Amino acid sequence: MSSDVSEPKWSLRLPADCSIAAIRSVYDLIREAFGRQDRLEIDCSSVDKADVTSIQLLLSTARTGEAQGRPVVLTSFSQSLRNTLRRAGFASDAMIDQHFPQKKDGV
Amino acid sequence: MSTMDPTEVFRQEASELFEVLEGALLDLGQRPDDRELVDSAFRALHTIKGSGAMFGFDKVASFTHEFETAFDRVRKGEIKPTQELISVALAAKDYIRALIEDPQSTDDVIGEAILDDLRRFVFPDQPAAAVVEVAAAPPLAPSGSKQAGWHLYLEFESHILRNGSNPLDLLDDLCKLGPCFVVPITDGVPFLDELEPDDCYLKWDVKLHAACDKDAIDDVFMFVQDEMKLTLSPLEQVDAPAPMPLFQLLDEEPAPVAEMPAPAVQVAAAPVAAALATPPAAKVEPKPVSKPEPKPEAKRDDRGIATVRVQAERLDELMDRVGELVIAQARLTQLASSGSDLSIKMIAEEIERLASSLRDTTMGARMVPIGSLFGRFRRLIHDLSRDLSKPVEFVTAGEDTELDKTMIECLADPLVHLIRNAIDHGIEDTATRSANGKTEQGRIELSAVHSGAQVLVTVKDNGGGLNTARIRAKAEEQGLIAAGAVLTDHEIHQFLFHPGFSTAQTISALSGRGVGMDVVKRTIENMRGTIDLSTRPGQGTTVTLRLPLTLAIIEGLLIRVGEGRYIIPLSAVEECVELTAEEERSRSRNFLNMRGNLVPFLRLRDILSVDGSPDQHQKTIIISTGETQVGLVADAIIGNHQTVIKSLSKLHSDVTIFSGATILGDGTAALILDVAQLVALAQSKVEKHISEAA
Repeated sequence: MSSDVSEPKWSLRLPADCSIAAIRSVYDLIREAFGRQDRLEIDCSSVDKADVTSIQLLLSTARTGEAQGRPVVLTSFSQSLRNTLRRAGFASDAMIDQHFPQKKDGV
Repeated sequence: MSTMDPTEVFRQEASELFEVLEGALLDLGQRPDDRELVDSAFRALHTIKGSGAMFGFDKVASFTHEFETAFDRVRKGEIKPTQELISVALAAKDYIRALIEDPQSTDDVIGEAILDDLRRFVFPDQPAAAVVEVAAAPPLAPSGSKQAGWHLYLEFESHILRNGSNPLDLLDDLCKLGPCFVVPITDGVPFLDELEPDDCYLKWDVKLHAACDKDAIDDVFMFVQDEMKLTLSPLEQVDAPAPMPLFQLLDEEPAPVAEMPAPAVQVAAAPVAAALATPPAAKVEPKPVSKPEPKPEAKRDDRGIATVRVQAERLDELMDRVGELVIAQARLTQLASSGSDLSIKMIAEEIERLASSLRDTTMGARMVPIGSLFGRFRRLIHDLSRDLSKPVEFVTAGEDTELDKTMIECLADPLVHLIRNAIDHGIEDTATRSANGKTEQGRIELSAVHSGAQVLVTVKDNGGGLNTARIRAKAEEQGLIAAGAVLTDHEIHQFLFHPGFSTAQTISALSGRGVGMDVVKRTIENMRGTIDLSTRPGQGTTVTLRLPLTLAIIEGLLIRVGEGRYIIPLSAVEECVELTAEEERSRSRNFLNMRGNLVPFLRLRDILSVDGSPDQHQKTIIISTGETQVGLVADAIIGNHQTVIKSLSKLHSDVTIFSGATILGDGTAALILDVAQLVALAQSKVEKHISEAA
């Protein structure tokens, strides 16, 4: 997935719990942020709990941004999120890059 | 309307799963070859783990995962579930329960010690520290150049995550079978507007390079097989060794081992013993193998659709409302009967019918099978049996018998005391039993059965029976009876229920303080129940608890004594007869001749200290508890009455002949007579009469 990684105007930091227990509130947070700005930067450094739902939400966000021409950039993947991605089969950084648009210095 | 905290829902569900787990483990002790029990225990563990992780109980998930890993060898039939292993598994279960219910009381050191014990039994040939790694090591592929494997396609039903299942755990489990190459299929993930955040959209394409058979893969997906599509096809055999994981090809820093698919190099380092234990390579099948249709009995349980979990306090509230309705309906009926308006009378009758039906339905909703209570005692008996070195067979019957939920809660403590006594005092040690020609294993039966409007709960042991002489000697020693007093065995046995009475020569952790049976008696009487005790020397003791079906609303017989009105529980009433003029006149006679049997009677006017002269034609209501009959003489019998039981205040706690009160249709109160107390009173009068005559 390629993306126009220009400077975002608005940043959202994901909460520590992005697991299924809290995913609906994270979903609402992202949708709300999407409604405010054209360009969105999502800081993933605090994510402590992640699972399949977190991966899907990030994939959907990136996909929606690309379809609407509103770039989404993910930054600073926490180790927990990386581990979850690897368990799900996103086994390399290259593969993660392919599915999740990231800011180069945030990876 | 209050909503339940999701973690509270988890706690409740976990509580039910613990019962299943405990039941399965205890049964396994008896039937170690029963595969269904192993699966049942494993399913419970798996669900606790999944739900625990989902609700943020990370320690629970982590500990249960270790437990599950160790127990997996039992599931695979590699080791037998011995009694020692069952005991450790039960301790592990208790620890998980504590982690959920009272995490502050737990200690990681204890948890680790339990896991070490578990591993020691499950992996007896391995040092404890090495066990985890060995358990996590994948089975070896054959060392030859031909490597078999499987190609899997995984697609889960959308709701699977909400059930607590975690596909990532399943992928991890799959990776334990051998080097795995997992490719996520992301096409199904929709745009944000259409996304249901907790649905599962990801699918996976997996290449498993391991010579495991299909059953091993099926085992991984055993608990979700009804909720997923799994397609399996054999991988083409290749000459090359298993390929390196992608991250190694890309020369990237690998993730921690625990998070990674097991690489081939780790496989090569696994012990030879593990290699020998590797199952033979699966037969290569010519075509992709689709998952077979699950068997009918394996279909997902759909009872969740037909049942609703309701907070107990809401049921109590509903019962209170129904009680108020029944009282209001009684007032309406009384009002209608005093007037002449036919249409009002018809409506009153209709309301009465509906209220009665609603009462029965509500009471039915509160009914719980007593089996839920019986299950708790299996563990108690298992532990006592082990601690006292008395092998005991525990048999239950009538688990489907239903009882009001409040009664079930109240019954737990008395039954604990009775069962403890039965094992500690009733069942003899193995040497004594052998010497007496009995089987070494004692037997305790716990049963329940409906009998009219009562439930009989029986605890029966095949131990030595009560030592009547010793009970009598102790009663004399404590000054409860005079030396040489004439008492029946039944009367002597009643001293067991006296506060502080114990024949035990030593006080142990289990019994001997003389508190237990006193508590049993008080609790059962507070429930308007009675206790029958029978014993046969050398053959055992049977304690029968007779309990009403409910504590909330009963059918009563409304009577009048003087100006006051009283209720007798209809379940205790056998018949009503008129007192003959001769019996009425003879103040010294206290017996009725009932078809040849002498039945003692009590004049309620005397007992209740009612002034004035009695009605001309006195009525006698014959009541019974167990096999004892007593007559109660009243001025008039008014008729049946749906009785909503209201507790008496603490001020009236010393008034023993009343068990409660109710409100009548005209708004006045009527007291409910305590049948057990009246029977006891009549018996004491009979005994006094006999001793005077003697």
